Amino acid sequence: MSTAATVLHRKKKKAATQVEVCTLLLDAKIFGLPITHILEIVGAARPQPVPLAPIFVGGLVHYRGDVLTTVNLRQLLDMPPREGRQDLLVLESSGGIFGLLVDSVKEVLKVSSADYEPNPSILYERRRALFAGAYKLKDSLLVMLDPEQLDPMRLSAVRAA
Amino acid sequence: MDELTREFLIESQEGLDRMEHCLTDLEERPKDAGLIGEIFRTVHTIKGTTGFLGFKRLEKLAHAGENLLGLLREGKLTADSQLITGLLQLLDGLRSILKTIEAESNEGVGEDGILIGWLEELQAPVQAQAKDPAHARAGAHSASAPPAEAVAVPLPTVSGPPPSAPAQVYLRPVEPVPAHKEIEGDLVQPRAQGTAAESTLRVDVMLLNRMMNLVGELVLTRNQVLQATSSDPSMNLLSRRLDMVTADLRESVMKARMQPVSNIFSKLPRIVRDLSQSLGRRVRLEFEGQDTELDKSLLEAIKDPLTHAVRNSLDHGIEPPDARIAAGKNPEGILKLRSAQEGSHVIIEVSDDGAGIDVEKVRQKAIECGVITPERAVHLGERELLQLIFLPGFSTAAAVTKVSGRGVGMDVVRTNVEKIGGKVEIDSRAGKGTTLRMRIPLTLAIIPALIVRSINQSFALPQGALSELVHIPPEAAASIEWIENAPLYRLRGKLLPLVFLDRLLMPGVEHTINAERGTFIAVLDTDGRRFGLVVDGLADPEEIVVKPLSGVLKEIGLFSGATVLGNADLALILDPGSIALKAGVTLLEEEADQAEDGELEAAKGLEYLLVEASGRQAAVPLANVLRIEQLPLQRIEYIGNRPVLNFEGQLLPVEDAGGVLAAALANSRAQGSSEQQIIVVVCREGNRQVGIVVSHVLDVAAGGDLYEAGTDKRTGGVTLLKSQVTGVVDLSAVAPLPAGKQSPAVCSQIEEAVA
Repeated sequence: MSTAATVLHRKKKKAATQVEVCTLLLDAKIFGLPITHILEIVGAARPQPVPLAPIFVGGLVHYRGDVLTTVNLRQLLDMPPREGRQDLLVLESSGGIFGLLVDSVKEVLKVSSADYEPNPSILYERRRALFAGAYKLKDSLLVMLDPEQLDPMRLSAVRAA
Repeated sequence: MDELTREFLIESQEGLDRMEHCLTDLEERPKDAGLIGEIFRTVHTIKGTTGFLGFKRLEKLAHAGENLLGLLREGKLTADSQLITGLLQLLDGLRSILKTIEAESNEGVGEDGILIGWLEELQAPVQAQAKDPAHARAGAHSASAPPAEAVAVPLPTVSGPPPSAPAQVYLRPVEPVPAHKEIEGDLVQPRAQGTAAESTLRVDVMLLNRMMNLVGELVLTRNQVLQATSSDPSMNLLSRRLDMVTADLRESVMKARMQPVSNIFSKLPRIVRDLSQSLGRRVRLEFEGQDTELDKSLLEAIKDPLTHAVRNSLDHGIEPPDARIAAGKNPEGILKLRSAQEGSHVIIEVSDDGAGIDVEKVRQKAIECGVITPERAVHLGERELLQLIFLPGFSTAAAVTKVSGRGVGMDVVRTNVEKIGGKVEIDSRAGKGTTLRMRIPLTLAIIPALIVRSINQSFALPQGALSELVHIPPEAAASIEWIENAPLYRLRGKLLPLVFLDRLLMPGVEHTINAERGTFIAVLDTDGRRFGLVVDGLADPEEIVVKPLSGVLKEIGLFSGATVLGNADLALILDPGSIALKAGVTLLEEEADQAEDGELEAAKGLEYLLVEASGRQAAVPLANVLRIEQLPLQRIEYIGNRPVLNFEGQLLPVEDAGGVLAAALANSRAQGSSEQQIIVVVCREGNRQVGIVVSHVLDVAAGGDLYEAGTDKRTGGVTLLKSQVTGVVDLSAVAPLPAGKQSPAVCSQIEEAVA
């Protein structure tokens, strides 16, 4: 189980606490990211493509004096590329900061750790690495993403393996 | 590691650096009490603090050293070469323990018994010579008794120190005051603090890097603000102020990262001393321009190449004393290190007055190694041959010695220096000596680059590698020739291998030449490889702020970083060296090319613009050339008989030495046409500019000095250009204009009136 999931899992055991989750949208699918890993949300980013880069790299963006490598979440989840503007989440992982390109960023939800469930065992192997369990919302499931696993260095290592 | 230990490590390392310097100085001036005092203080401080921090091994070693130094300070020992060797060993011993502490937070388990024994042995002469029984006893104590007892030995004499020492000691406020402390006991070290310590501050390099980054960011933001507000007059003053403050800030932050080259020069006396002893050379080391400053990271990067160069000079350059005497030279060789700032570069020169490089030996070796063919070798000039020593695995040393001769040295020097955007040149005269010159850019964070376009994106090409640009108009597309899959271009008669940037970046894409604008070839020179990079378009050159790429993108290998352009677009910075490698441009093919072409970077002397005026060739120093202008004949105006040119609002006197202008004038009158074009080379001469009318601009070539037969005098006014003696245009001889910058029409009226 991935680190973020472990943390969340442990929390649940203690007592039902409130967790803030930023939700984002890819087509009609909704995903969540723990806000503790989000540095900033940049609307309408225009990433500069990098020739010969690994396919999951969405390009470069300029962020506060640094040049960030972005990860294209649609590509990572095998979704067809989409025209039009994309939102950028600046994430912090143990390996540094990077960008995550998504269709759009929605609101921040407060969810209860009591509603958390780890990844189901029947999930695709490839998805299991990216997802960090899910929260049971009233009418849907909020699938959590693991920021550590989205780090481009990590992704490239996984791809090479 | 706690704060106190870290502080101790930094201070001790600085102290040891100073001590190293003092020791090598001491060898020249063995009686200098100030030097001895300083060395003593360093070891003493380390000993005192280690006792406090509980580093027993370090304390024991420092203590043994202190005893020896104590005797030296009292004048009971003389600082002969054996003693200094011993002290240098002590220094190395202390350093290695400090390193262990830094890495592992403990002293490690090494055994210093042999070194301590040796240091005690060095105190022996005192025992033998001592007449005073008290001293004899003291000597016996220090040799045999455990260190804890021996500490008492130097104490009694401290109350009556040698007369010259204290004055020296008190003059240096940064240092702890030893006599005072010694009597108090060694328990607590009062921090060495004085005026220097109060006005300076240690800053983490990471913080400086961050600041540099932010300043770079500010520069970019400023560029965008300036562009956005340029049309608004009310913002004019504000944005100009922003502009100025940003520029000042950038300069200050860059300055904060600068360190004097003496920081690395100071390591050299020790190396030179050790090497010259083991090689049996006598060498005097001279420094010049030690206070020249360079970015810290660059300073680090040239440390190795510099050491290599010095080793080379000692091993292959300076001859053993008897050989020098036989050659009629001073038995003591001179190794000179010079550094100076030249524009946006720092020059570092390592020169010796040794045997020089035997060009014939290089020629033979080059043929042996198969670097060049015997036929070509015959045609190569001295300068071209000398550059061959930078090839990997090339060494002229007859035998591989412990110090050098394995043929890796010069290759490493060049690779390391080029890695940081610098250049290496070598110049040597047989029997006279060798000079190695490194040109290092002042900073790496901001570099000049040419912005090129390909696959509808902008890329930055560092100008350090760029040697020229060629435009291929759409109608001349056929001038790119092919041998099977290899595109080539004839550049002044030589075939230049081409690399299409778009194909490289997007495999499978066919290069198409823009039907309107044609295509461009950037001729690049890197790591001894030369090739043409084909791009779709060129934009303006820009000073770019280099931003590092994440690991994933570094792995691609073609980009060395990214930058933000003035229009807020991102651009990847191309790495010419990797492109050459990836495209398979080989070194040898290139080297042969260069050699034949004779287009090598001048090892010494100047580069000249070779021009032709009325059938005669002449040379203009390239450094003075500002522009080459082709303009209609009418643009030349006259003040009286003096031709002048109104060039960018400035009036230049125009020199027509070859009679080109007169001929063109006569020609245009005869034909009655006004279409006649002339070429004017605009040159800088002192504070003014002058124009020279020429028929053709032929080439750029490196000139060599000519020496008058039988003398060593350099001849003036002529240079050896492409093996031909060529006259150099004397720019200072162009007569100044009579008045200031009046319009020529007015002037000529006045002159006419006077006439």
